[in-house]
Amino acid sequence: MLVTLAFRNLWRNQRRTLLTLSAMVVSAALLILALGVFSGMFKDMLASATEQYYGHLVLAEPAYHQRRELFSSLPAELADLPALRDAPEITGRSPRLRSFGLLSRRDTSQPVELLGVLPELEQQVTTLHQHLTAGRYPAPSDRNAALIGKGLASKLNVQPGDELVFVTQAADGSIGNDLLFVSGIFATGDSRHDNNLVLAPLNWLQQVLVLPGRIHEVAMLVSDPLNAALVAARLNPQLPDNLEVLDWGALLPEMREVIAAYDVSRMIIVTILYLATGLGILNTFFMSVMERTREFGILMAQGMRPWAIRRLVLLETLLLGCIALTIGLLCGALMTLYMQQIGIDLAGYITPVTYAGGTILPRLHAVFEPGNFSVPAGMLLLVSLFAGFLPANRAARLDPVAAVREE
Amino acid sequence: MPLIELKNVSKIYRLGSQSVTALSELSLLFEAGEFAVLAGPSGSGKTTALNLIGCLDRPTSGQVIVSGMNLGTASSRQLADFRLQHIGFIFQSYNLIPVLTAAENAEFTLMLQKVPKKSRRERVRRLFAELGIDGLEERRPADLSGGQQQRVAIARAMAGNPQVILADEPTANLDSHTAEELLELMRRLNREQGTTFVFSSHDDRVISQARRVIRLEDGCLSDDTGADR
Repeated sequence: MLVTLAFRNLWRNQRRTLLTLSAMVVSAALLILALGVFSGMFKDMLASATEQYYGHLVLAEPAYHQRRELFSSLPAELADLPALRDAPEITGRSPRLRSFGLLSRRDTSQPVELLGVLPELEQQVTTLHQHLTAGRYPAPSDRNAALIGKGLASKLNVQPGDELVFVTQAADGSIGNDLLFVSGIFATGDSRHDNNLVLAPLNWLQQVLVLPGRIHEVAMLVSDPLNAALVAARLNPQLPDNLEVLDWGALLPEMREVIAAYDVSRMIIVTILYLATGLGILNTFFMSVMERTREFGILMAQGMRPWAIRRLVLLETLLLGCIALTIGLLCGALMTLYMQQIGIDLAGYITPVTYAGGTILPRLHAVFEPGNFSVPAGMLLLVSLFAGFLPANRAARLDPVAAVREE
Repeated sequence: MPLIELKNVSKIYRLGSQSVTALSELSLLFEAGEFAVLAGPSGSGKTTALNLIGCLDRPTSGQVIVSGMNLGTASSRQLADFRLQHIGFIFQSYNLIPVLTAAENAEFTLMLQKVPKKSRRERVRRLFAELGIDGLEERRPADLSGGQQQRVAIARAMAGNPQVILADEPTANLDSHTAEELLELMRRLNREQGTTFVFSSHDDRVISQARRVIRLEDGCLSDDTGADR
């Protein structure tokens, strides 16, 4: 009966309850949507850095990533290390050889970073094959096919099928050079990759660098990027001393900081928004308690304990919170679904922005993440209870004689 | 042992820097089964005396003992529990909970007493029949007349089987015919069930129905007659 009474009390002043309820629903739904869009933005950023270049984990010599020396090479068989092969979280492994040199077409040359890869394995780690604007992704049978960035293609004025010359220093001290033909052109939106990066067959680059059977790193993809550090920590003790697995957070510390800062800012946004909502709830229930002073006096006269009075008012705020939460979660989920499936394309207004090692794409796009629902939901219930506590306390502390006399 | 005992009870209210004496050295005894009225003009201390007997208020000095319990030393929680088990209230303005139906209003005390739902329903059904308001169980207070509301209020007060029912000017808002009907009803409940009724009134027609009349004036006992009426 207490629940019935609480529920009916909520609807005594329908307009006031509906206004408060709508404020709670709108704040919860918009918060869920905003957090989903933020998560989408950071997922894009992380994906641009990891799934277009680094991978989530990289196996290499411990100092390799600081200097990227040509001579810090490893046997190519390391890509099949049992520790990597048997790790259930690792969904892709791509052995890579890296070289820096000049890429030329007629009288134009550009400095480039050239990655020698096995195309069929590289596709398990990076998504450049999904960003083709012309031509095709190199096939395993291609001897000297190159996939180059759109900016680089533009600077060299090349199209798929054109020939290029790559010149670099080989491991034996000679000048390594050979011909490549452009099989495809990609555009990721990240200017560093689009203007600088070239993918070529691993065997071809091993010959040019005179490093047969050698690689510099194994790039890997894991099922949950946010768990990459844990996977790396688990793998490292199983590896020889001259090898190390780094997660994307170690490779891109600024990106890790951005995501940590996002978690903090998410809580700040939730707090600010719900502070305002909480004041609305507080006002509603103070008004409600004051209007019902005499009734509380009657309930006390009937023998209702002060704690039960407090519980009644808290039950009302909790009920309102639960109703708002249900509708807010539903609306938030629907809006997030829309933004996930369709989103808003801003390419006509803004260009991609590279920040903290990742690229923010010109689009508003949301992703579903449990935290984006559980945080607003939990906080809304907490705010409802906290906002209800003061009025509930006031009701419980009423003097029954004065309350019964109240007009 | 008397059911209710007031020993030299004084109640002084503080209004800013002023003190108002509502009751002064009042001593009274009520036996179980009495049908008594506290009579007197406005400000004579009738409601204050009822509030003290009903454990809603504490005396400034003196002792209020109801059913053997000294109410002056009890905690708020103990007083609430005591009211729940021993006291029923009827108010001048009925004071039913507007969002509850008539039956739910009457059931509320039983719910607080943790009486099972089925027993609550049965008790309220019998009370409503006894009070002549059967058929009105599902109506909200706003859909009832003043007399019907006061009968529901009596049902609410009776529901928990209290030892004493305190009624503050219960007929003041009713027309004379309905007031007489309600008084007769309370007298019947007193006679048949032995419930003690103490009510306040300044209406001579009501006062004449009581078996015992306690007159108060300026917070003091001025007359106590008719214990054997």
